[in-house]
Amino acid sequence: MMRYVRLFRAFARVSLLGDMAFRGNFLIKVVVELLWLGLMVFFYDRLFDFTAAVAGWSRPQYFFFLGTYYLMESLIETFFLSNFGEFSELVRTGNLDLVLLKPVDEQFLISFRHVEWSTLPSAVFGLILMTRSILQLDVPPPAMAYVAFAVGLTCAVAMAYSFLLMLSATAVWLVRNQSLYELWWLFMSLMRYPKEIFNAPYTNAIGWFFTFIIPVLLAVNVPAASVVKLLDSQMIAYLVASAVILLFVSRRVFRRAMQSYRSASS
Amino acid sequence: MPIVIARDLGKNYRVAEKQPGLRGAMRHLFARKYKIVRAVDGVSFEIEPGEMVAFLGPNGAGKTTTLKMLAGLIYPSNGSCEVLGFTPSDRADAFRRRFSLIMGQKNQLWWDLPAADSFRLHREIYNLPQDQFDRTLGELTELFRVEKLAKQPVRELSLGERMRMELIAALLHRPELLLLDEPTIGLDVVGQGIIQNCLREYNATRGITMLLTSHYMRDVEALCRRVLVINHGRLVYDGALEGITDQFGRVKLLRLQFAGPAPDLSRYGTVTQAVDRAATLQIDRSKASSILSDLLSQHTVTDLSVEDPPLEDAIARIFEQSATPVEAAIAS
Repeated sequence: MMRYVRLFRAFARVSLLGDMAFRGNFLIKVVVELLWLGLMVFFYDRLFDFTAAVAGWSRPQYFFFLGTYYLMESLIETFFLSNFGEFSELVRTGNLDLVLLKPVDEQFLISFRHVEWSTLPSAVFGLILMTRSILQLDVPPPAMAYVAFAVGLTCAVAMAYSFLLMLSATAVWLVRNQSLYELWWLFMSLMRYPKEIFNAPYTNAIGWFFTFIIPVLLAVNVPAASVVKLLDSQMIAYLVASAVILLFVSRRVFRRAMQSYRSASS
Repeated sequence: MPIVIARDLGKNYRVAEKQPGLRGAMRHLFARKYKIVRAVDGVSFEIEPGEMVAFLGPNGAGKTTTLKMLAGLIYPSNGSCEVLGFTPSDRADAFRRRFSLIMGQKNQLWWDLPAADSFRLHREIYNLPQDQFDRTLGELTELFRVEKLAKQPVRELSLGERMRMELIAALLHRPELLLLDEPTIGLDVVGQGIIQNCLREYNATRGITMLLTSHYMRDVEALCRRVLVINHGRLVYDGALEGITDQFGRVKLLRLQFAGPAPDLSRYGTVTQAVDRAATLQIDRSKASSILSDLLSQHTVTDLSVEDPPLEDAIARIFEQSATPVEAAIAS
């Protein structure tokens, strides 16, 4: 285990060195990312000038939700999204060969070989947004809420990881699977809003489907609600169970894909 | 005890057959037709520790597929192989620590960083102790004469320099077996020579086993005593390099220098060159001694040499003689 921590540190270091080789590009990426987030915050801030609550979430509650979403998105983008994005290219060009030759778990190497440092400042942005929201709450959340938040967020990131791993694995059979990534962006869009917005006659079924069948809506909702609204221990348990099952299944799918890999011409 | 054992090793690929044009694309969408291509078809050989073996064959002969099966990158369709006592397709970490595969057309170094950074990453990946890593790196940079290049971004190195860096990265964990797929591709003669010298020296000092594919006969002649020739997935020759010319070279080359103008020699064989007093004659190998004595008795020859034609010619003959591809068309 310690070996993998050291190895991850080495990947993070080399990625940072790579980013630093093109400082200008790196800084532009960071600034654009933060501008984008700032614009969203401005939009929601204006929205709350006209209403006291959106789907039962008050201004500070909603901004905590938004901060949680930014934090989660940043963790996903920083640690593994770009690696999975490149996976189909590795398969298509046969460069996956170079990964499979290393005496390291293939899944680890494919998932974490590059750290996208430029998206990490968004996590800090999210944390600031969350802290500010908590300070604006009438009643401070109990300590247990933070534990539930940490567990919930970890599980949400683990679920996103498993989903991306399975999505990437399909590249071994489909070779080009970019169209499947549209699914990922659809799920990310669903995570961005409180699940209560689906509490309407025609959308109840959609909300139910993405809560219990494909638990996308739980990802941000459950950890955020644990702190600023209601700590639903059943939902936390459901999230933990979903994450464990997804991690297990995705590893099996990935291993199966690696066995089907046929390499490319060289 | 052989370090590599391949027994009746085979690999089949299912390849989609597609007609050109829009109509072909539409048909392909609904009724796909596949054919099975036998990339490697029952290949058996053994390699002893310390051997340097060349794997020869035309493009698509199955060389790289065989190397990839030995490296555990792809699963054999039939037969089996054992490398360093392991079944490669299990991809055990203990196995992957003990060999390296270099592919001339792929690079594993970080493109925008100096090679030294990639080397450090390799140290972590292979979990090498710092002192062993420092010692090996020192030895290798000296052997490959790249002391001044390790701090330069890889993208700014010449192709030859980059290949040397790739080799260093591949040797840092001191593998016992080195599989090389076209290591000198695209390099000029000087660059090829440097890589050949380094590999030869490394083999002499470390006793590493090497299996090499290359289209450059210079690589093969400089490095390997034994060659495996594969064509259409089948092994058609396994033996000493010199044996190829003995077995497959039908002709000999005579280079002659006469006291006067070169006479008409066409009755002996094919005159490939005749300038002033010099002539080059290609003759039937089996008649070499009788033609020679005839020539010497009838003409005043001032200088003479008998040579084998270039190795490429003999290899080309093996390729021509060996069987046609094995395919089976199936519809699904």
